Amino acid sequence: MEEKKAQILEKLQKVFPEISETKNDFPYNRVDLRIEKNKIPAILFYLKDEMGYKHLVHITCVDWLEEGKFEVIFIVWSPVDKIKVFVKTFLDRNNPVMDNVDMIWRQANTYERELREMFGIQFEGLVAPKEFILEDWDDMPPMRRDFDTEAYARKRFFARPGREDARDVRQTIAERTGEEIPDFAKKYSR
Amino acid sequence: MAREKVTTLYLGPQHPGITGNMMVRLKVKGDTIVGARTEVGYLHRGFEKLQERRNWLQAFTILCRFCVPEPDPVEEAYALAVELLEGREVPERAKYIRVLVLEMARIASYLLWYGGQSGSAGLYTMGQWSVGDRNYILDLFEDLTGGRVYHMFIWPGGVRRDLPKGFKDKAMKVMDYLEKRLDDYDTLLFENSIFQKRAKGVGIIDKNKAIEWGVVGPPLRGCGIKSDIRIDDPYEIYGELYEKGVFEVHPYEGGDVWARALVRRFEIRQSIKIIRYVLDNIPSGDFYNKIPNPHKWTLPKGDAYSRVEATRGEIGFFVASDGSNKPRRTHMRGAAYVHAITLLENILIGENVADVSFIMNSLGTCPPEIER
Repeated sequence: MEEKKAQILEKLQKVFPEISETKNDFPYNRVDLRIEKNKIPAILFYLKDEMGYKHLVHITCVDWLEEGKFEVIFIVWSPVDKIKVFVKTFLDRNNPVMDNVDMIWRQANTYERELREMFGIQFEGLVAPKEFILEDWDDMPPMRRDFDTEAYARKRFFARPGREDARDVRQTIAERTGEEIPDFAKKYSR
Repeated sequence: MAREKVTTLYLGPQHPGITGNMMVRLKVKGDTIVGARTEVGYLHRGFEKLQERRNWLQAFTILCRFCVPEPDPVEEAYALAVELLEGREVPERAKYIRVLVLEMARIASYLLWYGGQSGSAGLYTMGQWSVGDRNYILDLFEDLTGGRVYHMFIWPGGVRRDLPKGFKDKAMKVMDYLEKRLDDYDTLLFENSIFQKRAKGVGIIDKNKAIEWGVVGPPLRGCGIKSDIRIDDPYEIYGELYEKGVFEVHPYEGGDVWARALVRRFEIRQSIKIIRYVLDNIPSGDFYNKIPNPHKWTLPKGDAYSRVEATRGEIGFFVASDGSNKPRRTHMRGAAYVHAITLLENILIGENVADVSFIMNSLGTCPPEIER
């Protein structure tokens, strides 16, 4: 397997000299490579058509907030080689634009819709309805690390009338009925 | 025919034929579907965001909610991903117990599928039988894990508990019973001419395109392609079991609902074989490689992706760590993410409206794993 992993990287590096970083010292069947974003469709096409990496396993994105980057990761799998290839690229967090790849695998369309909605990454040429999971969303894309969930919840939702103080319901019942809250339950009261 | 106009039909989100909270917007001409669009968004709970605020172990209370009928493969996928990231070893006994749990979950999920698939063809007796028998598996789960539906049993480093006393005898008895019942199921469902007529030639997936369309699991094996994560990218002891001939993977030609049903019919028997083998050959030893205090447990910076074969197909978990005690990002790949959207939208065209839920069931659609 180690040989095969090295061969794959060698072959890819010959065709794509732009590959900036590779990693194949994993103790399992995995090869990593990093390439600039405008070469992504080309390398994925090559992997699929020339090298038999027909199965698109996953497309995902990691938000490296401190470094100001999004890392988009494409995982492809070959049923013949039985190796996972991770194609990674960095996007500028302030201007996350990259090429659409749904002409290579049409299910990529779904992944791209999700990344567009959850991270705000724009895929050029992506044809899909604007909304996927979220409805009428006008805030920052919610999976970004700097999205403040608590502030959003406070802005968006409100307490039921009479429950603004978030008081323990057992307290209210105890006052109304005149019964004592048992000791074991006090432990769980706010 | 020229007078027939195209009508829009909304199937779901609240509809008995839909396998959960999602909607298929159909364009129909008479009874024939000419366009389909899957609409999701009724079930989003933000699990992945929630996990980013919890430590690596606390995620397990959320994980089982990713797909209710079959929570164990998701736990397994996450645990595997964490172990790959950290390089943590799992004791041999824990691997056996994990396989036991996963195969029990597979049987439970297939029994539920029997109900869904036959119910959507109007054969309700089948579902009453199989869901009733599923309770015996849930009883075993209760003995083993303490929970019937949600187990939170598989975790990084092994499993939570050892096998309880007398578990082997009980499980063997249930397996013997189930094996007998499966013959009854064949008589009731697979020999039923209504089911055969409904299932054959419906919802056909093109064999040549199947892999690149992202078809996985039983639907792919129903296209005549021998593909199973358990043998292609083996995890736990599956590679070893396959080499020893404990279980087989058998593809069926056709690519229709019938072929997918046969795949499931075959696999439920294989799961019984695996459970028997595991119970007979389980090694003694530790069942858990103890992790440090979970609040202080940090994982090295990097990412990992694990794959597990569930009844719906390939389940995967991507985790990325920034070196802290919480995940930087977790992202689940569910089989339904591809099956219920791009695949379903394409294979529904030309089918009858009455077959929509029938086809959806055969693909193993599970909306919670689309939205998470």
